[in-house]
Amino acid sequence: MAVIRQITTVASVAMPIEEKWTVRRCRYMPGEGAAGRVCIATGIHGDEMMGQLIAFGVVSRIMEQQEHLHGIVDVYPMLNPLGLDIGERLVPASTRLDMNRAFPGTPDGTPLESVCYQLVQDMRGADLVLDIHASTQNKSELYEVRLNAASAAQLAAQARALCPELIWIYPDKTAYEASLTGALCRLGTPAMILEADERRRKPQEIAGRVVEGIFCKLREMGLWTGSAVEPPRAQEEIPTIRTQEDVLRVTCEHPGVYVPEDCIGEWVREGRILGRIIDALEGVVREEIKAPCAGLVFSQRSYSAVYPGTLIARLLKRQEEA
Amino acid sequence: MKKDILFTVPSYFRDDMDILGYRFGKGEKSCVVLGALRGDEVQQLYVCARLVAFLREVERDGGILPGKSVMVVPTAIGFSMNAGTRLWAPENMDINRRFPGDENGSTTERIAGALFERLKAYHYGVQLTSFYQPGSFIPHVRMMDTGRQNPELGCEFGLPYVYVRTPRSYDQTTLNYVWQLSGTQAYSLYAGKTREIDENAADQTLRAIIRFLNGRGIIRSETTPGHTASIITNDDIVTVSASSAGLMRRVKFAGAHVRRGEQLAFLMNPCDGAVREVLKTPVTGMLFFVQDGPFISEHSPVFQVLVSQKG
Repeated sequence: MAVIRQITTVASVAMPIEEKWTVRRCRYMPGEGAAGRVCIATGIHGDEMMGQLIAFGVVSRIMEQQEHLHGIVDVYPMLNPLGLDIGERLVPASTRLDMNRAFPGTPDGTPLESVCYQLVQDMRGADLVLDIHASTQNKSELYEVRLNAASAAQLAAQARALCPELIWIYPDKTAYEASLTGALCRLGTPAMILEADERRRKPQEIAGRVVEGIFCKLREMGLWTGSAVEPPRAQEEIPTIRTQEDVLRVTCEHPGVYVPEDCIGEWVREGRILGRIIDALEGVVREEIKAPCAGLVFSQRSYSAVYPGTLIARLLKRQEEA
Repeated sequence: MKKDILFTVPSYFRDDMDILGYRFGKGEKSCVVLGALRGDEVQQLYVCARLVAFLREVERDGGILPGKSVMVVPTAIGFSMNAGTRLWAPENMDINRRFPGDENGSTTERIAGALFERLKAYHYGVQLTSFYQPGSFIPHVRMMDTGRQNPELGCEFGLPYVYVRTPRSYDQTTLNYVWQLSGTQAYSLYAGKTREIDENAADQTLRAIIRFLNGRGIIRSETTPGHTASIITNDDIVTVSASSAGLMRRVKFAGAHVRRGEQLAFLMNPCDGAVREVLKTPVTGMLFFVQDGPFISEHSPVFQVLVSQKG
């Protein structure tokens, strides 16, 4: 049976010069009945484009295999359209704030709070909300599912079927409370962040992996019977960060230009060179950055200028070291 | 006067960035005044520069009281001021969301950590700060309700209002909040404009700081009497927001006394000049904040009205 596709404006705020900040949702649903509803949101941060490719991959497969959709998939590809248009992380113009610190919003608040409120009202009650992010400027990440400690007990097992390379349970209560996923979880709607790298040479490959994970999850939830990868077997361990003690942040101590080795996703030994900081004026290597312990490099800085304290890499320590 | 380098951020492409502190007097760490934490806080820098010049003369004339010391930190973000960015550009981070900082953390955490290590030793802390939206405030003292605030002492600045604000979750990493929790009596002063110099507001802010230093027995200097301050909270403020968008023509400005129903601004169609909305005050009071950008989006908070007390 053919999928029904409906495009709806779910949030709108008038801007000064004959334009609206509009958030549109495209709903994909089977001709009859629905086994549940999953929301896929992207573009809260305007400098993160990966969600476009992932959303495109998801809806393309749905339209190719329409008879296999048994539930509602709501796609919101552009939550911060102004930011996306100019590659700005924050909501630009007079707002100048991080949208993911303004949830759940209020109906009579600022333009940002009003949009956030409308979005939360539209997504609440879903069986799952996936908020897709990308690595920030000059940083590569594995494909991660991020959960807050407050909701991890309920959601950690559910995250496995998304087939991530890493599950990160993080304790940042302050930022979490005002995030989209935090606001939804507090309202009883399960919500997770997917983090996917867009800095590497072939973003299509990374996006493809996330798309496979999403269809695996949709199948587990009974919303999808089409093609999808198998979920991780019960005995298969997904590297998981449970406390901050599991993570080692590697920073540099010299300013300069950082030239990375390609270590992302590698279980490295202590002493493995992660990259070098060069000085082109004097033609010297100012610093050689080495792994301080054995572990999985799940986050790595790319070729860029650095200052003392710049994050170079994050390692998940080997269990015996953690 | 002693000029200290509180922290240095070495750079590869540029000169190193030194965060400078100007110290006056010897003895207990009585009061520290911090200016710009964001790259566009021009007014805050300006007030500090004038305060340093003033204290230099006070010290020369023996006006710093024995056993007391004052430090002024005009800016902690000279790099961004020179580059024309509000945030710390390499990380796109707001230093005023990184306190108490971390000496082994990221660059902004290191800046915040090193600063806080020096600032927390002072008994009184004054931060000249700005609002994220462009606009004008009535100069006032602000502090967060942490349970440790002392608004009565804030009245000694002699500004008309001391505003005790309920903190939101994301305020918990600001300097004012963390300072208070560490035992410093912390005050934020809103000095009118941000991105440009406002001489009148700068004069008023400077006089307020001098009055406070006098009142606390830290310096001895002639000063004019200030206002009898009122302590206000969120409950005393009513926000007037736009329900349409366009170009705004204000008819009332910060400080104006307005009566219920009085016109505050006209929102115009930006192309044909037709009036889309007349913003009126729903209460009688004084305009505490006025957004002064020309463009207004739907739902934008444009005015804050301090409600007049009945009596």
